[in-house]
Amino acid sequence: MTPESAPITEGYAPRAPFRDELFAEDGTPRPPARALVEALARLGPEGLVAAGRRRDAIFLQQGITFETIGEEGPTRERPFPLDLVPRILTGAEWRTLKQGLAQRIRALNHFVDDVYHGREIVREGIVPWPLIAGRSHFARAVHGIRPPGGVYCHVAGCDLVRDADGTWRVLEDNVRTPSGVSYVLENRGAMARLVPDLFSAYRVRPVDHYPQLLLAALRSVAPSADSEATVVVWTPGPANSAYVEHAVLARQMGVELVEASDLVVRDEVLYMRTTAGLKRVHAVYRRLDDDFVDPLEFRPDSLLGVPGLVRAYRAGTVAIANAFGTGVADDKAVYHYVPEMIRYYLGEEPLLQNVATYLLGDPEVREHVLGRLGELVVKPTGESGGKGVTIGPSASEEELERIARRIEAEPERWIAQEVVHLSTAPTATHDGRLAPRHVDLRPFAVFGERIDIVPGGLTRVALRDGSMIVNSSQGGGSKDTWVLEDGEPDDRAEARLPDPLPPALPDLRYGGWSGQAQQQQQAAGPDAAAEA
Amino acid sequence: MHFAIRHLTGYRYDGPVSDNLNALRVRPATTSTQRCDEFHVRIDPETRVSRHIDYFGTEVLEFGVPAAHDHLTIDVRARVVTSDPGAPPDGPWNAVAAPGYAEAAGEYLLPWHDEGLGDALADLERAMRATTPLATLRLLCELVPDRFEYRRGATHTHSTVEHLLEVGAGVCQDFVHLALVLLRRQGIAARYVSGYLWAAPEDGGADSLEVDTHAWLEALVPGTDGRGEPVWVGADPTNRRLAGETHVKIGHGRFYADVPPVKGVYRGPDASDLHAAVTMSRLDPQSGARA
Repeated sequence: MTPESAPITEGYAPRAPFRDELFAEDGTPRPPARALVEALARLGPEGLVAAGRRRDAIFLQQGITFETIGEEGPTRERPFPLDLVPRILTGAEWRTLKQGLAQRIRALNHFVDDVYHGREIVREGIVPWPLIAGRSHFARAVHGIRPPGGVYCHVAGCDLVRDADGTWRVLEDNVRTPSGVSYVLENRGAMARLVPDLFSAYRVRPVDHYPQLLLAALRSVAPSADSEATVVVWTPGPANSAYVEHAVLARQMGVELVEASDLVVRDEVLYMRTTAGLKRVHAVYRRLDDDFVDPLEFRPDSLLGVPGLVRAYRAGTVAIANAFGTGVADDKAVYHYVPEMIRYYLGEEPLLQNVATYLLGDPEVREHVLGRLGELVVKPTGESGGKGVTIGPSASEEELERIARRIEAEPERWIAQEVVHLSTAPTATHDGRLAPRHVDLRPFAVFGERIDIVPGGLTRVALRDGSMIVNSSQGGGSKDTWVLEDGEPDDRAEARLPDPLPPALPDLRYGGWSGQAQQQQQAAGPDAAAEA
Repeated sequence: MHFAIRHLTGYRYDGPVSDNLNALRVRPATTSTQRCDEFHVRIDPETRVSRHIDYFGTEVLEFGVPAAHDHLTIDVRARVVTSDPGAPPDGPWNAVAAPGYAEAAGEYLLPWHDEGLGDALADLERAMRATTPLATLRLLCELVPDRFEYRRGATHTHSTVEHLLEVGAGVCQDFVHLALVLLRRQGIAARYVSGYLWAAPEDGGADSLEVDTHAWLEALVPGTDGRGEPVWVGADPTNRRLAGETHVKIGHGRFYADVPPVKGVYRGPDASDLHAAVTMSRLDPQSGARA
């Protein structure tokens, strides 16, 4: 039985104009995927369906779930849908991507530093200042603060897509501690257990050393005299959608998982409360919006977070990953300028392309965009996770009209982009047969002393036929991403992980926070008093 | 004018509190028309105070009292000399559309995110439009107190412009916020100013006054005949006039939350008794002084 005629791939064909990751235009498997397609044929649709059932049971039991967001807000948790057909990248493809990502992330890190210090890129006339100052994530509270090691974007996850002609493009940058890496780790483990035969003809580069890379990076920037800097993972709590990821990372790094109530700042130093008293903390991995990290800064009306944390950060006694204020770099309007940033800060040509983007503040550009809204993708600038995105070709007349009105009301808050023809990859359907579904790729880069990227990353897949929205909150799934070993020395850290600690501290009782502020309310002065 | 200022803030808590962290923005600025000669801060319970200059150029004093305590006193003393800023320029409307103006205006020209206000301000916007930006500024200083009542307790620290419109009354902070929205809608850059006001009767007499912290604004007025640099002109919509040597500036920002005089958070019971007092004394002879 040849793979092309096996029931599992019967009738599978790439759909022009989209490029398929595993199959060539003529319907035959690309050379690196040949052995995989053969192994899938041996497994058959029944085998794939059965493995899928085992997967759901395991994921539900382990709490590897995701909250989906429907029209009326968050709905129930469901098992994170891992598609059992992996995606394959050759060593050569991966090297190109890795270099391009490292270049981009270095430029973004330069940009964050520049925005909060000299603003050279503004003075050079490359990025307009009102655009930066108008971003909601521009963090005035950290103006002039340079974090330990000069690193702001410790964890970065750029979303990549492959266009119809095979060009890799960056769809968006994520430098506010993007989540999803735990799925990369879980997916690989699950694949090895559920469909071990798929691996038999391949040497796939490992990903399981990510937590060690992260820990090493955090320690390398931690302001501590000795090498045993104390690192913590700060989670907003079990209600947060990324809580499982925080717990997994803390456990695998062998560090404490803490919440705001476990942390306290005294004399510009951050401490964690333990049963043995206060313990100094040197580095914090966090995924909390800047607005809610310190009630003394940022949001004036919030009492959440750790009072004084920005003070400690300003004093240089603690590293925060990612640093405060990085949101100014992954804004969708700032994205437009990233290729220019690479040229300006690094003196290099960008290795990865942007998607053509239109900033709508300019009246002429706006008019052009409003004229062809049906062909473009419109996104709100400050959001992430696919929220508020309108895809012109699949939007109704009503939706287009509504978005046009919103653009006219607040042009600075929106961008428009050309539609990218996201590549497809064979994906298991409910009956175990394969069908093409659109995919993107989010590799996770770790920036400490240098930039490391574990091979591959999270391939997200739109499970609905024809859909190009891959976000997990919008019904997307994921795939294990294989980077094939081709002799390049890998970056696997060999040190053994320390024994895991309990994931949370005992719940010591402590009072809540109260705020104090004075209203400015001087009575009327002489003139008004005389008239009153 | 030469002032001695004492800004005393006292909190008495209903029970023991701890980890009392505060940030003060109370040091009078040094500008072209103002000089701060002396400045002292004393905190009780005693603690270390650290200083830095924030994004907007205001000096921030930060301190924390970690151990349990039942009161907090912040005692600030300053000596300041102010001078009259002189007659402001009176450039034409078309000068605010020039590229140089936007550059000088920076973020003080950005929209306020005031979409929630809808057409509530349409009437005021029509009424305030005068022959030049400066004339508009002067007119606005009359319109705001004409339309809104000055009333303590009508609003609170985090009140919005919507709140002021709803109740029809507020304090200087609210008047300034409203004026800033209106000026920016006219394309005039405007910023919030925090400080102290010598509010003595015009005919003098007093050499010491109990006041409070005060808020006014600065608007960027284009140079006369459209030539020369635009100038930040202080205006006090609570007191129907431009700011002068009676106004002691601490700092500025986009709005109140960028320059709060005292901001703090502590661990412990919510209830506390606040006593705040600002005493201003004239140190120079009063003859010839204009308020």
